[in-house]
Amino acid sequence: MAIDWPSTQAEVFRENPLGILNAKTWSHYHSYGGWGRFFEGLRVGKLLATQCTNQQCGEHRLWLPPRCECPDCWHEMAWREAPTTGRIFTWSTVLYPGELFRLPPETSLISVEIDGVCTKLMSYLKDGKPEIGMPIKAVFNTKKPTNTILDLAWVPA
Amino acid sequence: MIKFGPGNLRIPKFERPVYIVAGGLTDFRKKYPEKNTCQLCTEALRMAVEENDLKVSAEEYRRSVNWCVYSQFADHFGDQLLAAAKVQDYLGFDPLGNVEIKTGGATGGSAVLAAAQAIASGYADCVPVIGWERMDEVSTKVGNSYIASAACKDFESELGWMYAAYYALMAQRYQHENEVPREALAKIACKNHEYACYSPYSQNPGHYTVEDILKNEIVSHPLSFLECCVMSVGAAVLLLADEETAYRMTDTPIKLSAICGGTHTLRTADRRNMPILLLPNENDATYREYFDGRRNEWPGFSSFLAARMAAYLAYHMAGIHDPVEDFDLLETHDAFTISDVQTYEDIGLRPYGRGREFIESGDAYYEGRLPTNLSGGLIGTMHAVGATGIFQIVEVLWQLQNKWDKFHADPERWTRYGKKKPDDFRSLQVKSPKRGCAISHAGTGSHVTCAILEKP
Repeated sequence: MAIDWPSTQAEVFRENPLGILNAKTWSHYHSYGGWGRFFEGLRVGKLLATQCTNQQCGEHRLWLPPRCECPDCWHEMAWREAPTTGRIFTWSTVLYPGELFRLPPETSLISVEIDGVCTKLMSYLKDGKPEIGMPIKAVFNTKKPTNTILDLAWVPA
Repeated sequence: MIKFGPGNLRIPKFERPVYIVAGGLTDFRKKYPEKNTCQLCTEALRMAVEENDLKVSAEEYRRSVNWCVYSQFADHFGDQLLAAAKVQDYLGFDPLGNVEIKTGGATGGSAVLAAAQAIASGYADCVPVIGWERMDEVSTKVGNSYIASAACKDFESELGWMYAAYYALMAQRYQHENEVPREALAKIACKNHEYACYSPYSQNPGHYTVEDILKNEIVSHPLSFLECCVMSVGAAVLLLADEETAYRMTDTPIKLSAICGGTHTLRTADRRNMPILLLPNENDATYREYFDGRRNEWPGFSSFLAARMAAYLAYHMAGIHDPVEDFDLLETHDAFTISDVQTYEDIGLRPYGRGREFIESGDAYYEGRLPTNLSGGLIGTMHAVGATGIFQIVEVLWQLQNKWDKFHADPERWTRYGKKKPDDFRSLQVKSPKRGCAISHAGTGSHVTCAILEKP
């Protein structure tokens, strides 16, 4: 059986030294696993955190981003609704984001300090000018969710 | 981990001494289409073996090797899984055993650590460590997305797809807590761009004033382009050996008296408060007033526990009491000006909150008490990630072997890379250095290694 030469070719972008375009166009089928509940919560306007249920464990504050198992004792965590108000712990307005960024350049990234939460969730400010210590409240992209962390944002409280 | 158990702070030890015989580099460029990765690794290896006045021939060296360690950060960039197998084949080291190490920006440091462990345990006598990165197959913007894949993809990467932004968040908080003037950060960028002017290997040399840095375009507030590391293509190689092999190969081996690693959470956000882990030159009194004012936690966003942990272990392992006094030169992972100031504190050059004094006092300069990043660092010379931690140790090694001039001042080195040795060239060879240190750093402080080299 005679085999035909391939019908498509790699595009040459430079002759010397020879360089070709290796195109990549496929998707990854990524599962959030046990963290999916957090993203499902964002769709319906809920900020869901987890808390260690082991009475002997020393850490009983909320985790946000959530974890399915406690890193201090490996015990299973319980889901809890976290407060939806907090303060800006730090911020940066990103002028040259990377290729996959879906928000406009000049979006201000923020780290959010929330009472009772042992971590400082990274998010973005949807409105207003950021300042360290500024009180903020959570807003949710419930109408047309992206099903990513971008469905949560914050505005001045 | 917040509370240390008795085993967690055990000081590492080598069962027998570990030596570095020689080092080699390629030059570093934004794009290097003329040479493929295998060619770059061969070039750096040949410099290490053939241009260091070794007492063995290249053939004898090849016949002495018994284990290899490879260092590449991102399969994304190289677009070649199992790249180490290809490099090993092209270098002619098959069928010897090897490992490829991956710990982000600290990959080079971790690779040297892995090679040292092999020698110290007696598993191997003669181990080349070969590192590279090929970051020119994609645009800078896509490259930044690839690097941001080394943030948490579920909860962080979508927010910026840009590592500079994650460091900028730390910079804002650090400045808020410590009231550091922007000028102090800019001085670090000026220094490293300037030292890169005296390196034929450098990608981004330049004579800049503090004003130039501050007027430069912003990447992510408050960091400007000139305060961020370059994205490079290139390779670096170190030859490690046990004592007997090292002296058989060279009269000037340098002892690797310690190399230790620490880690912390991939997400800066997840770093919980804990007591400051004290270095040998600190005590409780050092931080009696630290938590007054705007600081309320450690390590928070202003400090790297991974760097503190690596320094703690390495200083105890090598008997370092005061790094500024005990070291004669230092290479830090200056990916961003802010991370450099943070590192000054983490490794005890100044107490927490006072890192700015290390640059402002003049200590960090060639003329100062602890010349830092005479190589030009990541801001001025290179960040071909898998090669970076190895490059840093190569530069410290050359200083300790008194070979800095040989590898930087010879005009032929410059012509080799299509450059002309600058008319205002000056030697940065430190006078009779005895001991040097190199810090390799990943993520927003996810992995850090601390290597201590000394003249035997």
